[in-house]
Amino acid sequence: MSEIFSSELTMSKNGFLFDHGSGLTYTLNATGQFIFHLLESGKKSTHILEKLITEFDVTEDTARKDLDDFYRQLKELGLIEQ
Amino acid sequence: MEKKSYVKPTIVRHSIGVMNKYGRPPATVPMSRLAGFDVKELVAQYGSPLYVLSVNQLRQQYQNLFRAFSTRYPGTRVAYSYKTNYLKAICSILHSEGAWAEVVSGFEYDIARDLDMPGDKIIFNGPYKTREELTRAFTEGAMVNLDNYDEIQVCEGLADEMGKKLPVGVRVNMDLNNPPWHKFGFNIEAGHAYEAVKRIQTGGKLDVTGLHIHVGTYVDDVNIYAAAARGLVSFYTYIKEQLGVRLKYWDMGGGYASHNTLNWAWQSAEYTCPTVDQYAEVICPILLNGPFGSGDVPKLFIEPGRALVDEPISMITTVVAQKRLPGGKRGVIVDAGMNVLSSVQWYNYNFQTVQDSGVTVEDTILYGGLCMNIDVLRQSAALPPVRRGEHLVIPHVGAYNISQSWQFIYLRPAVIAVDDGKIHVIKSRETRDYVQKMEQVPDEFQTYRTVNRK
Repeated sequence: MSEIFSSELTMSKNGFLFDHGSGLTYTLNATGQFIFHLLESGKKSTHILEKLITEFDVTEDTARKDLDDFYRQLKELGLIEQ
Repeated sequence: MEKKSYVKPTIVRHSIGVMNKYGRPPATVPMSRLAGFDVKELVAQYGSPLYVLSVNQLRQQYQNLFRAFSTRYPGTRVAYSYKTNYLKAICSILHSEGAWAEVVSGFEYDIARDLDMPGDKIIFNGPYKTREELTRAFTEGAMVNLDNYDEIQVCEGLADEMGKKLPVGVRVNMDLNNPPWHKFGFNIEAGHAYEAVKRIQTGGKLDVTGLHIHVGTYVDDVNIYAAAARGLVSFYTYIKEQLGVRLKYWDMGGGYASHNTLNWAWQSAEYTCPTVDQYAEVICPILLNGPFGSGDVPKLFIEPGRALVDEPISMITTVVAQKRLPGGKRGVIVDAGMNVLSSVQWYNYNFQTVQDSGVTVEDTILYGGLCMNIDVLRQSAALPPVRRGEHLVIPHVGAYNISQSWQFIYLRPAVIAVDDGKIHVIKSRETRDYVQKMEQVPDEFQTYRTVNRK
């Protein structure tokens, strides 16, 4: 489990996420799951951005904006601290 | 290696209690085409936001409603409530289907006459009619329904001037809903309606030939119409006996609902909005039991507006920005404000994506593009990811939004009509010249200009 997360999180194969700390559950879409796994394995945000651009049909500009929004969302949901 | 198709990453927290057995599936099926045309192409050609009318659907709405009533009450006439949308093209389409005009001001009366509606196919209602407007209406044979004693007095004066007895309708109201609609006409339960009819008949200058009731707006309880129809029948029975009144018509007004969900409604309009047949089924049999024989059946008038024009018109908007609110909720800003969608005060409009954005939805607050905190189009909508430049379609926006729109900050959008694969612009997008055409700036207010130019 990466240190980035506020508590222990477990995600199923189809994107169902369980927060062991709060008991809350979430659903991530495919891109969200992709990013979550990278965060889980401790990857830095620049690496995640690169991976997104290489593997998905998306421009750097769009990917950067979406990643920022995704991080903001994770933070507002209390799943990450930084 | 071929790249994977990309959808904006999302995470959605599960909540308990937001769905129930009446819950509808979220609107994730993209609506890429509207009235047979590609949404993106329509925007490219006519701009965004954009109102789009399906002419076929408008005709169908009329035909369906007319069939529902006229098959149950022979001789029913449908008078289109102009105030819900008096764009001339829309009125023309409905007139070509056979609709009369129901107008509530001299301004609307003029529109109907400009469209070559003869006076005797115009119903003139509303609580505020000037003497000049009434004179014209009576001269041209319009049906005038009186709202208050001041109007009675003015019309008696006109009868004197014109040297003949004038036929009039009387607007009545009853305690049917909560809060009751007492604004229009005279109340039956309080005895005001009887007093008014008696006053008119004894005056000898006017003759009561019609009764009119308007039970409310967006009335999705057919029992209210049933109660109103029963009230009209018993009132007519009484004034016929007591005052010898012989009605030529009765008018059930409008207020019929459309497929939009009210803000405070527990269930979606898909479950609560009655069909036109359900309305007709309660109203017509009751009225047909009125105090008359086969030779003197009063004509039945109905005055639908919302039920005709709401559903055939959709709006296309464009996402201009999105943001995260404290608490993590997503805010999406679109280029249409409440100035061109005033019915957001009443409705929880559906916002449909145009592009395929996946099936994961997120609770979203939809903001209009006006620089005003109150410009919220929907407090909570389950929307898939959207991004700047993408479009959202809002179905069923045809009633009131155009006639009640106000120019504010931005220019108001164009209205196009799609008819059998052909597109007609029925109202052009506003220009700044048009908006400022009536303004003048006196020279003495402009002295700073020369100073600034130095």
